[in-house]
Amino acid sequence: MTGYALKVRGLRKQYPKVLAVDGVDMEVRCGEVFGLLGPNGAGKTTTLEIIEGLTEPDAGEIEILGFDLRTQGREIRSRIGVQLQSTSLFNKITPREALELYGGYYPKRRSAQELLERVQLIDKADAYHTTLSGGQQQRLALALALVNDPELVFLDEPTTGLDPQARRSLWDIVRSMKQEGRTVILTTHYMDEAEALCDRLAIMDHGRILTTGTPSELIAQMGLPSVVELFFEGAAPDAAAFTAQSGLAVDRRGDRWELAVTDPKTTLPSILDSAEACRVPFEQIHMRRATLEDVFLHRTGRSLRE
Amino acid sequence: MLLWRQFVMEWKLYLRDRGATFWTFAFPVILLLGFGFMFREGAGPMTTLVWVTEGGGHAEDAALTKALTHVKILKLDSVEAQHRWAKGETAAQLESSAQGHRLRVNSYLMAQGQTAAQMVQQANLVVQAQAKGLQPEVIPISVESPGGRRNAGYGAFLLPGLLGVNLLSIGLFGVGMVNVAYREKGKFRRLGVTPLPKWIFLLGQILQRLTVSLAQASFMVLVARLALNIRNQGSYPEFFLAILMGTAAFMAMGFALSTFTKTLEGYSALSNVVFLPLMILSGVYFTLDAAPLWIQKVLLALPLAPYVKALRGIFNDGAHLWNHAAGLALVMAWGLVCFFIAVKRFRWN
Ligand SMILES: Nc1ncnc2c1ncn2[C@@H]1O[C@H](COP(=O)(O)OP(=O)(O)OP(=O)(O)O)[C@@H](O)[C@H]1O
Ligand SMILES: [Mg+2]
Repeated sequence: MTGYALKVRGLRKQYPKVLAVDGVDMEVRCGEVFGLLGPNGAGKTTTLEIIEGLTEPDAGEIEILGFDLRTQGREIRSRIGVQLQSTSLFNKITPREALELYGGYYPKRRSAQELLERVQLIDKADAYHTTLSGGQQQRLALALALVNDPELVFLDEPTTGLDPQARRSLWDIVRSMKQEGRTVILTTHYMDEAEALCDRLAIMDHGRILTTGTPSELIAQMGLPSVVELFFEGAAPDAAAFTAQSGLAVDRRGDRWELAVTDPKTTLPSILDSAEACRVPFEQIHMRRATLEDVFLHRTGRSLRE
Repeated sequence: MLLWRQFVMEWKLYLRDRGATFWTFAFPVILLLGFGFMFREGAGPMTTLVWVTEGGGHAEDAALTKALTHVKILKLDSVEAQHRWAKGETAAQLESSAQGHRLRVNSYLMAQGQTAAQMVQQANLVVQAQAKGLQPEVIPISVESPGGRRNAGYGAFLLPGLLGVNLLSIGLFGVGMVNVAYREKGKFRRLGVTPLPKWIFLLGQILQRLTVSLAQASFMVLVARLALNIRNQGSYPEFFLAILMGTAAFMAMGFALSTFTKTLEGYSALSNVVFLPLMILSGVYFTLDAAPLWIQKVLLALPLAPYVKALRGIFNDGAHLWNHAAGLALVMAWGLVCFFIAVKRFRWN
């Protein structure tokens, strides 16, 4: 299938105290891995849950796989796979039984054995789900999301709370979903994850989508491809004098200054000169390519994991 | 088909839950057997009368001893008796001297003490009458039930009560609490993203609970029959129909109650506020006869007391469902009201 797996227009959701989703428009193409990136409370989960049909929006149009969510919910639910942010199995059920039980809810289903192999849970197939480790439980949640051979898969923070190795193994599973031609929509607050997995990203904060594009587009859009970092012993000092001298904006973060620059080749000498003139007691200087983290910082003035 | 799978899965998960199976199957049977054996009929005289004689005692002591039946007599000297009394072990104490008799009844053990004291009084009257050459006539007592098919013994009394409490706990905990947990932990949400119609899930759960309560009642009746020789005096279809009615009503209560709180902690508090008073005050373990009439009336308006009464009527006295129509109708009315509250307030998340 070509075209769009998901089209969302004008989504809004007001909770008693917060406007959780504030006019979200989104288009996801068939076969791509699309990431929703944003800090805690940005509205990622609320957005996904509205799309999955779990939360009633105050306004907005949602078209999934060509169906209208409002009138063709059942059709949609049998074609999508969902992994929710909070785990939701808690009885004494085994992975195999859970896959068979949930598979039974769908007209089209995949064999439990095949799915268990896919997520490497064969060893634990008949252990109670409560005895699985965090990573194993997440893998089971992924297998459950694939039980109906879905065209579109939603993963809400699939790797949060996992160790690096478990994260890698989940990344592999997500990549193989893409290879099988599924569309994947995931949320995360890890930059490296977004860069590693996503074809396209939307950066979200305070219920709004700030910008959308491929990771490299987003970095290029910022127009500040490099970052110079000055490291200090202890807390970074005030930068007012330095800024006055050099004309460069400084972002103080913990033990360092960060300066986003367009042309490091010409800027670097002037940074060094100004630092010298203002007697800035830095220990080390370091230059790197801008990352999504910088894009986020630039867009919102906040770091992703604050 | 979907419903059947859901039902089978509910049973599987239920049987794996040791806590639930213990409280529904094992615990009531333990209570029944324990109390049933302790208080079985003809378990010997229960009250002990301490008897202290001072000097040579009273002239009529021998005759009094002869006239005293159904009470265990323990003769002690005054020092030992005083010691036993001080420890609080004596329910009633008879002191006899040449001048006459005196009875002391322990204010903490009134029930036993009063019984023993009255037996002494009666024996004493008999002795006095005999001394005047009279042969007093004792009026025979026969204990019968309204339906004339009485199941005697405390075990038999207890059995329907325990079944009633169990249905209440299946409703409040097996249904209400489980659904609060499902809602809180997101199980309902996980189901919400599948095409499974939610009513199938709930119906599977309800049918499973109904079969649990039937299985549990059958098990109790069987154990009672084999171990305590207690028989159902009524008809089994009516008995099990009553069980089903109770299960339905109390499940509706659980559903309704589960809509008033979002968290498990909140629900435990709420459900115990309902469960404990109902369990203690509904005539499950002892009859309500002794309570003031207005309290009995209040309790009989709550759902458990009339239900237990009806179940007891059927099981112990061979009554029919329609003999307890009013009580059962009240229980079903409670169920219906709760059902409507549940339907109106129930939320999946
Ligand atoms: N059921 C709810 N009732 C009231 N407020 C809610 C509810 N769910 C979410 N919110 C609020 O809406 C905002 C967005 O929450 P949401 O869960 O969508 O954020 P998120 O981006 O998924 O965050 P996280 O990264 O922590 O998962 C938050 O401020 C949250 O407190
Ligand atoms: Mg979230």
